[in-house]
Amino acid sequence: MSDLINVALPKGRLGDSVYELFAAAGYRCPEIENPGRRLTFENPEADVRYFWVKPSDVAIYVEKGAADIGVAGKDILLEYQPDVYELLDVGLGRCKMAVAAPKEFTDEREKTLKVATKFANVAKKYYSQLGRDIEIIKLNGSIELAPILGLSDVIVDIVETGATLRQNNLEVKSTLFEVSARLIANKASYRFKREKINEIKKQISAIKGE
Amino acid sequence: MEFSQSELNRRLRGVFERAGYRRYRMSKFEEYDLYAQNKDFLVSENVLTFTDLDGRLMALKPDVTLSIVKNCPTEGIEKLYYHENVYRAAGLSFREIAQAGLECIGEIDEYSVCEVLALAAESLETISENCELAVSHLGIFRDALRNAGLQDASQSEVFRLTGEKNFGELEKYLEKQEIPEKFSEKILRLAAIDLPAAEASKELKEVLDGLAEKESIDLFSETCDFLGGEFPRTVRVDFSTVGDLRYYSGIFFKGYVDGVPTGVLSGGQYDGLMKKLRKPARAIGFALYLDALEPLFNDGADGGADILLLYPEKASARTVFEYKKMLSRNGETVCAMRLKPHGKRFKKVYMITEGGVLQVE
Repeated sequence: MSDLINVALPKGRLGDSVYELFAAAGYRCPEIENPGRRLTFENPEADVRYFWVKPSDVAIYVEKGAADIGVAGKDILLEYQPDVYELLDVGLGRCKMAVAAPKEFTDEREKTLKVATKFANVAKKYYSQLGRDIEIIKLNGSIELAPILGLSDVIVDIVETGATLRQNNLEVKSTLFEVSARLIANKASYRFKREKINEIKKQISAIKGE
Repeated sequence: MEFSQSELNRRLRGVFERAGYRRYRMSKFEEYDLYAQNKDFLVSENVLTFTDLDGRLMALKPDVTLSIVKNCPTEGIEKLYYHENVYRAAGLSFREIAQAGLECIGEIDEYSVCEVLALAAESLETISENCELAVSHLGIFRDALRNAGLQDASQSEVFRLTGEKNFGELEKYLEKQEIPEKFSEKILRLAAIDLPAAEASKELKEVLDGLAEKESIDLFSETCDFLGGEFPRTVRVDFSTVGDLRYYSGIFFKGYVDGVPTGVLSGGQYDGLMKKLRKPARAIGFALYLDALEPLFNDGADGGADILLLYPEKASARTVFEYKKMLSRNGETVCAMRLKPHGKRFKKVYMITEGGVLQVE
């Protein structure tokens, strides 16, 4: 197995911030700043190899060992329950998982609640704890549209500022949990690259603590 | 890996048999009820079932331990090993998975526990020198949580967070519990123990003082010292190694080898399962997931044999047999052919010539 630490970064705005955090922690990779058509980026001096993957796939790459470590949202970890170590809250991408619905909606519990969401397992678990019968409508995007068009009664989704909800006459009805990005590690990789992984964790913690 | 899967199987059998373990063979089928009543013990709840000719609902074995425990006598002590295929859901379909392992059932004492742990470590070292056996003690961990004042539900949450090495959230969780601060600190320290076995005793004794029975701490410390002495590079005491408390009651362990992204070995003391199956005995064992080792066998030798013996057209059958017998004397598998088969690789290639047999590759 390679001695480099393979790091799966989530594509997009969160990923850019995560890379900046790694760079500030001493794991800069000049290649990633001029990517061209390359898919992986190495800096042997810093012992790291980065690659960008879809945010929801980071946990899979780490669980299956293609990446030794990665940064994934708590929402993804709770939805897919990957068998990985969750080493650190890196404090980025803060938002919350919430139930939202049209402002006038109240759940009278008279009929099965229709819930549109990307996070079927999270939603099922939440309503099962409340003893509420629900029908999950699994969507992959534009979740806010579902209650507006009558496809669902409520949605379970990530809420950052709430601006999209407000613009569509929706509001948060309850919060399930706070979300932030987490440093995760493959359980076997951790065993054989323990020192390097713990050093990365330590350096990132030090920056967070500043 | 330097050797083939069949050679690994042979070496593992050697490890188990040298310790006096007897091979246990079993039927591929078992009544479904056994698994239905112990679903939580299984890696996957999905079981392949069929109705037998007499109307009984049967299952293709998804697990070996349950069958052994069900059928094994509990007087004295039974030391058994197995090499069987099990049938489990993996991804979107069922797979036939090769599994090896051993069970020690009956009057389990400190020696038996150390022996099984040593055999687990030796099995891992047989697979690769870059391996690790992570050992914890679920009974002591649970007692510590209970004595700190945590209820069952809170204990489960602490186990879950510890299993994730999620110490940030564990700290926050413990702050919210109504337990003395000194206990919270100790539980955090206990959860974070991840040390070579030889260095664990001191930390265990300090952390567990006042939280677990002295006798249990001493016994576990002795086990750690023994493992640290025998397998200094392989065994670590790591309390993030957690399992289902309904079945596992004492020592619990998982094994890893470099190059395989998942655990390859799992085991522990499963007195809880014995109690559930109303067996008046204790038990400890482990399973090795041979299918997980596939990434290590990239030499292609499994398609053929360790040695390819090439013979000329005019060679007599007796001559080929004799050389084949000679080459397989050390336990290596030998495949005799006229021509080298396409696409298959062998560790060594010999050729029969007029002057005898020569190694050509």
